[in-house]
Amino acid sequence: MSIINYANKEIQFKIVFYGPALCGKTTNLAYIHTQVHDTHKGELVSLATAADRTLFFDFLPLNAVVIQGFKTKFQLYTVPGQVLYNATRQLVLRSVDGVVFVADSQWEKMEENIESFQNLQDNLARQGTTLDHVPYVLQYNKRDMPNVAPAHYLEFILNNRKTRVPSFEAVATSGQGVFNTLNTISRLLLRKFAREMEQQAANKGHRGTESASARTALSGIAAATIRR
Amino acid sequence: MQAMPILTLQAAGDLLKALEDFLEKSEANFCLIIDRGGNLISQQGQIPEGADASIVGALAAGSFAATRELALRIGEPEFSALFQQGANFSILINAVDEDVILVTAFTTQTTVGLVRFYSARAVKRIANLLADLRANPPEVEPLFTERDLASAGNRIFG
Repeated sequence: MSIINYANKEIQFKIVFYGPALCGKTTNLAYIHTQVHDTHKGELVSLATAADRTLFFDFLPLNAVVIQGFKTKFQLYTVPGQVLYNATRQLVLRSVDGVVFVADSQWEKMEENIESFQNLQDNLARQGTTLDHVPYVLQYNKRDMPNVAPAHYLEFILNNRKTRVPSFEAVATSGQGVFNTLNTISRLLLRKFAREMEQQAANKGHRGTESASARTALSGIAAATIRR
Repeated sequence: MQAMPILTLQAAGDLLKALEDFLEKSEANFCLIIDRGGNLISQQGQIPEGADASIVGALAAGSFAATRELALRIGEPEFSALFQQGANFSILINAVDEDVILVTAFTTQTTVGLVRFYSARAVKRIANLLADLRANPPEVEPLFTERDLASAGNRIFG
């Protein structure tokens, strides 16, 4: 559920990294945090156990491109992957705009991947939504491990819904595939947002005035990139 | 959960005024309006140096959500407020409506009683503002189009 604020001229989106335990969700956020310029990121907050397992969530706020004078802000969250923390996953999913499903590519993790993906759909359903309405991408992580399933097999078991979604092979510890994943989900969210606003405006016959003045005053501001 | 209405300049100004009045009367240090997913809607006051409002918001939303689950387990639909007391700083979190909460931080320069009293008024005022906004959503043109998005390049994050 994006938040649009004309006073601050910003739009906020919430992205949740979902997946089974130890698949690399926190590692994704940690890598992103190391690569983004200080001026465009907040602190990486981890609510973890003494053994560094995610207890509640990890959180990383990021500022991204400026489009037509509006700053885009992305709040990245992870969920705890362990099965017993399902109530926590439901809390973190609240108001979600987009999902990155991180799968563990190792053969022995296939069942957990499938269970976690089903759990994601169940928890979205509890919020009255589905993956048909929430943009998501798949990341096949840990491709550097010796016992990984082929990508086409992961596609077969996870990317098999009516509409296939972008998927990425990744090694989050080294950063491989991490920003491709993040850029793609962010772009999907911005595109969905633009489409919905255009649709709403078309339905209402373009009777609004506030945005017109804001756009006139702020047009032409160049896009900014934030990575070092 | 309802979609958060677009905050026009007028609506954002009204929320800021409500928060400003609340801070002035309660003598609290800063307050945030956030949705229950942790998204920051409005903020007012002096946030301590080095603190990040979005992080405070995310943690407060998580804390309040966990407390709500606790309430459900003992047969309460929700605890309407949550108070965390510290030696110097304390935090009071109030439910505004089904979707939004108010987070207030204050020092020993004021009292929890005063903050609670004025927060109850602030909550009603904010709830009314948001209800009006939902009942009469502003009509706006698209902030940007897919074409604008294309001109921003393929890389959102460099």
